[in-house]
Amino acid sequence: MLEVNWLHLIPLLPLLGAVFCGLAGRFVPKAWVYAVALGAVLVSFLVGFTAWRQIAGGEGGPLAVHELVYTWFSVGRLTVDLGLSLDRLSGSLVLIVTGVGFLIHLYSVGYIDEDPGYWRYFAYLNLFIAAMLLLVLGDNLVAMFVGWEGVGLCSYLLIGFWYEDDAKAYAGRKAFIVNRIGDVGFLLGIIVLFSLSGSVSFAQLSTLQLTPFVAGTAAVLLFVGATGKSAQLPLYIWLPDAMAGPTPVSALIHAATMVTAGVYMIARLSFLFVQAPGILLLVAVVGGLTALWAALIATSQQDIKKVLAYSTVSQLGYMFMGVGVGAFFAGTEHLITHAFFKACLFLGSGAVIHGLHGEQDMRRMGGLKRHMPHTARTFAIATVAITGVLPLSGFWSKDEVLGQALRTSAFSNLAMLPPQFKGTPVLGWFATHGPTFVGPLLWAVGSFTALLTAFYMWRCYYLTFEGEYRGPDSVHPHESPWLMTVPLWILAFLSIVALVIALPAQLAGRLHLEGSTWEHFTEGLFRPARGGPPREMLPEAATYAIALAIALAGWLLARRYFARGAEGFAKADAVVARFPRLHRALENKLYVDELYDRVLVRPLWAFAKALWRLADSWIIDGLVNGAGQAAFALGAAARKFQNGNVQRYAAVTAVGIAALVYVFLVRG
Amino acid sequence: MAVGPTHYLVLAAVLFALGAAGVVLRRNAIIVLMSIELMLNAVNLTFLTFSRFPLVVRRPADLGPMMMQGHAAVFFVIAVAAAEAAVGLAIVIAVFRSRGSVNVDEFDSLRN
Repeated sequence: MLEVNWLHLIPLLPLLGAVFCGLAGRFVPKAWVYAVALGAVLVSFLVGFTAWRQIAGGEGGPLAVHELVYTWFSVGRLTVDLGLSLDRLSGSLVLIVTGVGFLIHLYSVGYIDEDPGYWRYFAYLNLFIAAMLLLVLGDNLVAMFVGWEGVGLCSYLLIGFWYEDDAKAYAGRKAFIVNRIGDVGFLLGIIVLFSLSGSVSFAQLSTLQLTPFVAGTAAVLLFVGATGKSAQLPLYIWLPDAMAGPTPVSALIHAATMVTAGVYMIARLSFLFVQAPGILLLVAVVGGLTALWAALIATSQQDIKKVLAYSTVSQLGYMFMGVGVGAFFAGTEHLITHAFFKACLFLGSGAVIHGLHGEQDMRRMGGLKRHMPHTARTFAIATVAITGVLPLSGFWSKDEVLGQALRTSAFSNLAMLPPQFKGTPVLGWFATHGPTFVGPLLWAVGSFTALLTAFYMWRCYYLTFEGEYRGPDSVHPHESPWLMTVPLWILAFLSIVALVIALPAQLAGRLHLEGSTWEHFTEGLFRPARGGPPREMLPEAATYAIALAIALAGWLLARRYFARGAEGFAKADAVVARFPRLHRALENKLYVDELYDRVLVRPLWAFAKALWRLADSWIIDGLVNGAGQAAFALGAAARKFQNGNVQRYAAVTAVGIAALVYVFLVRG
Repeated sequence: MAVGPTHYLVLAAVLFALGAAGVVLRRNAIIVLMSIELMLNAVNLTFLTFSRFPLVVRRPADLGPMMMQGHAAVFFVIAVAAAEAAVGLAIVIAVFRSRGSVNVDEFDSLRN
């Protein structure tokens, strides 16, 4: 570990940028705001790159760069340092956050230029980068939590950026509140870990042997936090609504960086999660279900950003599946490749929306390839990357996840029933066999999801860019300025070259690229899951062939219905007509929002209303008003004595004296 | 029947009660002033009673000056009562000039 004193520059520079843009941005020329905002992120990227070079140097070099900025607070046994630690995982994420972040800043200059709130926008965006860097670099749970809350705040601010619009402000609040539910879990997890192990720093925690109960409790609470931030079942509902924000924000926060924080957290805490294999199983199952669930919904959405949002939820599900089966490197590898192609897709959709003056409905798009060739080509490359029709980065990383799920032995130590059931007819099987079937099952679910992914992404591409333009004549689609297309091309390029980190070991060895794969790069960083080496299932080549066939099938299916103009649409309508209820349910996002509304939101409202009526209006206000009224009544009674009639005064005085005389002289 | 201090004191109490009743009950301010005189003179009577029948005599030589203390107090009270009556009647006349009445229950300016 190399101790340095300049690592704090990485999160500090964007923070200063945010302060400048937020306080002075309104009064200085536009160019200054852009220069400060972009410059801060760029310099931060360069500092991060310097640090990354130190640790990526290879054999013998330091494994991490560390800086103890200062001891934040020290209370009793609890000592929290503001320490930053850049290792191969956090370092790579720093490069992604600042690198992709810089590209998105650049793109934003073209996107938000006409908005009067541009200075506010860049302040939030810089603040987000700073918080995200703190989240990634923090060397203890508390520092990470500060970043975690910071990105949540920026997410809320940016979703509700156009706060005059009620729906958008509501979406921001929804994201904030749903995230808060998860954050409570995270905070409780930190408290459990601290109170039972006495430490919050990753370095100290990773050396501790925790009891299964402590590890399980802490892991499940932290996982609740991860489901909130990373939009997993059952807390994913905020992410599709988060698309109300500006599109570059969706690309940066709600696709490439912030939403992957949960995956990062679990990978960072791999030592904790491997001690709780049951929770790993839960993580994997939740991830698999989320992937499938969101992909199903994505097939029937008409809003281009909603399709991408559900796609993000689904891909995050893959990442959770990856870390859940104990293949932490696979989950984080997919995180990295996903950051490139999903940012590219979102920025592409932003270019489309920009070029169509705010149109988001794919039914009023089509044929845009002729008008915006750069956007169309980069979108196609990113679509290929995510669907895996050709083996670009997404194909390899996703199938690494699926292959690891198929072969995992992370759950083989788990028993579903206690051993005393052994020998009984049906239950005996459960007592002797662990839930090892979950891995192959997840593989099957993930593969089916891959089919859906290919289908909905190609549907999205064809509806947007191919065929005839179906929008109103008044809108003339146009290509975006170079400020927006250059980031698109860079991200598309990265989506392709990122495949070198995601190649399977055998193939990488044959191509002499074994040094560059993520699996090799992060060796020793993650704790291996308990349960022994991976099991032999299908050979690697076979799983990749199956994945390729599935991707092609999904592509052909989408082409059949959406690439052939009216004829294809008629066929699609015919299919839809055969399953009207299913289609309606999918179009309505499987009624999850309605369900939450009935089960949670409305009862909470009713409860709050009851409290307001009873506790607030009646008891609290009653006490306050009662005190005032009592004073009034007392005053009104006392006023009667002061009637100005001197004779009455004299009479009262006489009676009083008589009483005193009686009490003290006669009786006493 | 020897006349003792009790007789004087009972008479004084009756006079004081009559005066007090007059002060509290009568409406005419002049009658009220007269009732106050009555109360003051009831008090004077008690002073003179205790002057005539002292409660404790420590030394016979002190008896002479002690007997004069009650009289002195009575002279003070008479002087003050005379002053009070003069000021009171002047006020009554002033009030009658401005309000056209000397009925005390019609005046409640003290309330304000």
